[in-house]
Amino acid sequence: MKLIVLALKNLTRHRVRSLLTILGVAAGMFLYASVQTMQHSLAVATETSAADTTLVVYRENRFCPSTSRLPEHYQATIERIPGVREVIPIQIAVNNCGASLDVITFRGVPPETLLDYNPGIKIIEGSFEDFAGQTDGALVGQHLANRRGLSAGDKFEAVGVNVTVAGIISSDSPQDENVAYVHLPFLQQASRVGLGVVTQFNVKVESSDLLESVAGKIDEIFESDQQPTNTRPEKAFFAETAKQMIELIGFTRWLGLGAVFAVLGLVANAVLLIVRGRVKETAILQTLGFSRFSIGLMVVFEGILLGLAGGLIGVLGSSAFFYFKSFTLGNEGLTLALSPSLAVTLSGLVVAVALGLLASLYPAWKATSRPLVQSLNA
Amino acid sequence: MKPLISIRAVTKKFTKGSTTIKPLEDLSLEVPRGEFLSLMGPSGSGKTTLLNLIAGIDTPTSGEIFIDGRDISKLSRAELTKWRSHHVGYIFQLYHLVPILSAYENVELPLLLGKLSKSERKEKVLAALDLVGLGDRADHRPSELSGGQEQRVAIARAIVHDPELLVADEPTGDLDRNSADAILGLLNRLSKEHGKTIVMVTHDPKASAAAHRALQLEKGRFVEEGNLINAH
Repeated sequence: MKLIVLALKNLTRHRVRSLLTILGVAAGMFLYASVQTMQHSLAVATETSAADTTLVVYRENRFCPSTSRLPEHYQATIERIPGVREVIPIQIAVNNCGASLDVITFRGVPPETLLDYNPGIKIIEGSFEDFAGQTDGALVGQHLANRRGLSAGDKFEAVGVNVTVAGIISSDSPQDENVAYVHLPFLQQASRVGLGVVTQFNVKVESSDLLESVAGKIDEIFESDQQPTNTRPEKAFFAETAKQMIELIGFTRWLGLGAVFAVLGLVANAVLLIVRGRVKETAILQTLGFSRFSIGLMVVFEGILLGLAGGLIGVLGSSAFFYFKSFTLGNEGLTLALSPSLAVTLSGLVVAVALGLLASLYPAWKATSRPLVQSLNA
Repeated sequence: MKPLISIRAVTKKFTKGSTTIKPLEDLSLEVPRGEFLSLMGPSGSGKTTLLNLIAGIDTPTSGEIFIDGRDISKLSRAELTKWRSHHVGYIFQLYHLVPILSAYENVELPLLLGKLSKSERKEKVLAALDLVGLGDRADHRPSELSGGQEQRVAIARAIVHDPELLVADEPTGDLDRNSADAILGLLNRLSKEHGKTIVMVTHDPKASAAAHRALQLEKGRFVEEGNLINAH
């Protein structure tokens, strides 16, 4: 404890030097945590689990929502397949089918079935009744509402569709946080696809082990129909459809790795310079009776404290950045909310401390390896 | 009475490139408890090397160094470090205070190695600062003190853990006459009133005159009026 206090004094009383190092570490850790946030958000959106029971029925060989047109009457056929619990037809309209940071997605659904199909939706502002009773009413995901500064009662326009915000919703499904739910007939007409045509069906099955068989059955039924289907689990659908976006995020791993090395080099350089500037001081402490181990430990503490301070600023800064900016990556109508998470924050802090520790090991050894008499005469 | 320091046939050698240098050769010395001994000699005579050996910050190539009956020449680096923390106070020519710490914190440093409570440490630090006449400067940083005051803080740091042996490497070498006299007076008082054994290296004959005994070193051996002697 006394050594930590000494290390802290060393850092706080060389304010400018410490502050510059901490800012450098913070910048690196900000980048690292941002990359991790993207990776984590992607993992949440694409990694399947036993709790996943949703299938997406899409038009075969189509890549963008506007090119997937399925007859709405497929719903009744799908509902009759054994293992299917619920089916919801969805019309989708997006402002940008390519990869974009500001994608706006309208999901047209039959209002009366929305809450039954997705009980995880919570109205946090406005009311469901306003939505149900208003033809142009929209329930806007809170992420999209934050991004666009929308509140209940506001009107907004995108993709040539004018809606009135009837409510703001939160949901345990990340996709819901980034879309605006509107009435299905309204969107069919507003987006000029015509009544009776939908982009996709979302199908809930009784249990996750039925996903594959039900998907196969659906595609088999419509195989020789005019509009053949391609049915996949929701997360696999996301993983396949948003390939470009996933590759882009995959590439950012290298940026994260670069940030880690930058932080490592920065802390190592800073601590090494500190140690070099304190050769005599270190020798004095040894003369007073401080062991090599305790002096090395003090150097390591300084590295850890620098890493921790920079990590706290960088990682928490990144979390705040993603929280307040509500970034959403979109591709082919699917959205990925880049949301801060506790796991990323904690792992970022652990990485920052580990880097501080790792970076100070060599300087710590360097500080204590020189013969004492030589250091005193330095 | 057994001497506090007993040095027997100590030689120190080291090599620099292809040359072997012997700063000390077959040197013996005894220093009684409570003595204030001054070591004089020209540069390169081996006096600082001898001081470093007595203080346990260097080890001899051959020979034995007994301090209070313990042969410190056989101790490892780690053992020497621990031994120093209990038995020696070192006073440097250039004070070597830690610049970012206050006078109080500098004096407290040797006590951080022990198990004293904060209040016990405080009591000892303030007593040491009072002893050197700097009780009112505890919060000052080294840069806010004069050279003489810095050296007094360094002395307080050297005595705060109450070692029986003080070693001083040219403690007045960087001070004006008045400050130097004050430091020598302080060292004398520590020897007479507190029973500290002091070994001081100096170039200054006036400083040397303040000690109980003065020894002259030349080329790694004691001399007296040009003759080699054994300093018992």
